[in-house]
Amino acid sequence: MAIAEGSSAGPLTATGTDPRNVDGQAICITVFSTVKWWGRLWLPLVFLYARLVPSAHGKLARLSFIHFARWTLVERLPEQRLRHPHLFFESNFNGGWEEYIDAFSHILTRGMTLFWGSSYGFPKPLPTGRFKDYIKRHQIVASHFYSAYPDATTTIVLSSLELDAKLRDFRQRTQGMDPEAFAHAWRAFVTDVQRCL
Amino acid sequence: MNSDPDRSGQAGALTVLTPIAHGAEPALRAYLEGLREGASPLARLPRTHFGRWVIVSELVPDDEPQPDRLAGPYLLFTASFDGPLDSYLDELCDELAAEALEIWGRCAGAPQPPTGAPLKAYLRAHHQTTGFFVAAYPQATVGDVRAALAQREDVIAFARAAQGMDPAQLHAAFHDRLGG
Repeated sequence: MAIAEGSSAGPLTATGTDPRNVDGQAICITVFSTVKWWGRLWLPLVFLYARLVPSAHGKLARLSFIHFARWTLVERLPEQRLRHPHLFFESNFNGGWEEYIDAFSHILTRGMTLFWGSSYGFPKPLPTGRFKDYIKRHQIVASHFYSAYPDATTTIVLSSLELDAKLRDFRQRTQGMDPEAFAHAWRAFVTDVQRCL
Repeated sequence: MNSDPDRSGQAGALTVLTPIAHGAEPALRAYLEGLREGASPLARLPRTHFGRWVIVSELVPDDEPQPDRLAGPYLLFTASFDGPLDSYLDELCDELAAEALEIWGRCAGAPQPPTGAPLKAYLRAHHQTTGFFVAAYPQATVGDVRAALAQREDVIAFARAAQGMDPAQLHAAFHDRLGG
């Protein structure tokens, strides 16, 4: 069974996502998987590697639609004895669910295996069909999801922050300029920040 | 390197798993799903980028090779937030006092009423430390992001309007509208 539960909040959105997992452009995904015994030793090393090696972040940064994501090894629960540790994954992203999983599989092929390779039933990231089925079966629909800036994609946020830095620099550089020189500088500025607009 | 696994730059990750009291799941689910009808209570926590409540009835599907069956459902709360965890929890326990009664008030072992320092201690005790937390813009606060988004709209509008201006008009209009 897929473990999406509760009454439906309506039909799936155009992006193929349960509306309870959506706030504006933002989408959330919540996944637990059962970890084999050796994952208890392996995953902390993977996490440490990911934190220590900046290039591990580089590939994630290429997934330009992720705002925030996290992986957590859950070994204990209050009032519950767990025979196995569990890997908890959550992501806050924008775009379509299918495209998200596709991009994850194609760009982070090795990283996905590092993170989920110790989970029972994990198929290889490629081809993506079996991996999508795996995620669909393991994801849990949120009862409430919130984004502080629901209409902004990750790309727009990053563009806006880059534009802010460049505008601060432009203000400084053009202080005291006469109108002719300012107009010239403005045209160059607009060309420079075109991709942020 | 980030030595604190719950942080990425100035951003923090909060992950809390609490057992739901026996028989309380349907009412809790109905309450949480009803929050969609109005403004999210998390909007009253201005340091929250993203947050979610998820009812975990089972951790994994029952046809998993080695499933751990839960004795009862759990409530997962996560947030990606700005700054220190301690003051964030203070704000949460203070600002969401009414909602906490409906949410963590239905969790086993929660203080009654679930408010203030006792709620903070309860949430801390059920916090799961993150393994790896990644943020696309780890140094930007919610305020930074919102200000940058609004400013981008202003710049786009100004760039359109400026197309017909002569240098003197452009100079004056920029300092008037985008001068900082």
